[in-house]
Amino acid sequence: MLRVCAMTDLVPGEGLRIDTVVPPIAVFLTEEGTVHAIDDTCTHQDASLAAGWVEDCRVECPLHASTFSLLTGDVDAQPAKKPVRVHAAEVRDGEVWVRLSTAAPNLPPGVTFA
Amino acid sequence: MSDVVVVGAGLAGFHTAAALRRLGHQGGLTVLGAEEHAPYDRPPLSKAFLGGSLTAADLALDDPDAPLDVVWERGVRVVGLQAGAAGAPHRVLLADGTDRRAEHVVVATGADAVRLGDHMPGAHVLRTIEDAERLRAERLAGARVVVVGDGFVALEAASTVVELGAASVVVAGPEERPLERRYGPELAASLLALHARRGVVCRGGARAVAVTSGADGRAAGVMLADGTHLDADVVVVGIGARPATAWLAGSAVVRDATGHVDCDARGATSVPGVWAVGDCARWNDEVRGPMRCAGHWQDALDHAATVAAALVGAPAPAVTEPYCWSEQHGVMVQVAGHLAGGERATVLDGSVDGADLLLRYDRDGEEVAVLGMNRPREVTRWRRSRRPRPVPTPLVAAESGPTRSLEDA
Repeated sequence: MLRVCAMTDLVPGEGLRIDTVVPPIAVFLTEEGTVHAIDDTCTHQDASLAAGWVEDCRVECPLHASTFSLLTGDVDAQPAKKPVRVHAAEVRDGEVWVRLSTAAPNLPPGVTFA
Repeated sequence: MSDVVVVGAGLAGFHTAAALRRLGHQGGLTVLGAEEHAPYDRPPLSKAFLGGSLTAADLALDDPDAPLDVVWERGVRVVGLQAGAAGAPHRVLLADGTDRRAEHVVVATGADAVRLGDHMPGAHVLRTIEDAERLRAERLAGARVVVVGDGFVALEAASTVVELGAASVVVAGPEERPLERRYGPELAASLLALHARRGVVCRGGARAVAVTSGADGRAAGVMLADGTHLDADVVVVGIGARPATAWLAGSAVVRDATGHVDCDARGATSVPGVWAVGDCARWNDEVRGPMRCAGHWQDALDHAATVAAALVGAPAPAVTEPYCWSEQHGVMVQVAGHLAGGERATVLDGSVDGADLLLRYDRDGEEVAVLGMNRPREVTRWRRSRRPRPVPTPLVAAESGPTRSLEDA
């Protein structure tokens, strides 16, 4: 697993973009206190989901309002059609550790991360 | 179960069809499109598609893995609408002499780009995939480009063509500074400086009267009202769009002076069973503004969801604040809220030179909108903080008798 941030870096109800991994991921601390990690880039167009709205374990893309489940990655609403990858996240001693998914990411068309 | 014909296969038409199926409409559903393409997303045409990082297939709205259960008819020209008498189907008349009949007709024919003069090689508009492909096919690297207009599409096109290596890009727009009248001096100054830093010259107070042609018949530049001629190898005209509703002339559907179809807050037109969504419509919506013309991407989705709910008899979705966005030189500009003009802007954060402004707009002492430059988090929070308001009582429908719902048909 990979240490990505400290719990103190996270704000309840907000996401944190981690761009030290490729493609970048977003780590969320929900209001309920759970921690989740998904791919940061919306599968529709280039937008950072870490800046989105978190509610009921879903994040709403800040650009076009597609929502993704933090638990499964499934997309709930158009315009996005494809899910984001979910990465297993654990909290140990105040640190957030993530096991990156080995599935192929669903990056939006035209977006690459070198 | 009654049938629905959606006239228009753009964003609004596609999403109306999608929402109808999502809400359980079991009847026939036909979507007539003027273009040969399957429904596609237009905003990237002046941005990533023009820039070359997206293909036409990337713009497709339908999901190839879960295609909509809809009869698509493409390349269809509609020429008229004959309203059916009480309960009888309406007839959408096609140029080939045939018609399509349905109890419900959704008008989603969008808008056409306004041109400056006739078609001319080297002079472009940006509305369709073909428009963007034609502009993309120009030798833009090293070209002198003049962009006419100072709205979002014009400014986005300027941003993209300078990125593609244009030797010079001049934006000739009527406002002294771009978007100042609508969004105020702070944003205008910030955009002006942003464009200047990237080599785009915004020439304000420029009233373009014609695209001039050279000896080879190609566009040679733009003539301004003050007699100035701006030389150009390529001209892009981005001066707005007109509702594509001429086909409704002679029908009982009421339109305004500019051709927008008049609708109540649920999208019902003056003819029961005929609805209108997206760029061609003007909804009398007390939340988003009385008799407000649509024109933004979000309007098309909101209209589609509202009309589909009305058609299947589902509760109307909550009315949210208007929303639009633009991307210029990598800066995402997002606007949420209702701006009628004359609002006072306050800088909450960021700076003009930093192109990272967060603006709040007040009207009569009330906060009515926000604008962010690369501020997705703040704009999203503002949008979510605005409580959805109930849909007001239908106005047009109340005056013209009951609207049809699918249950009546």
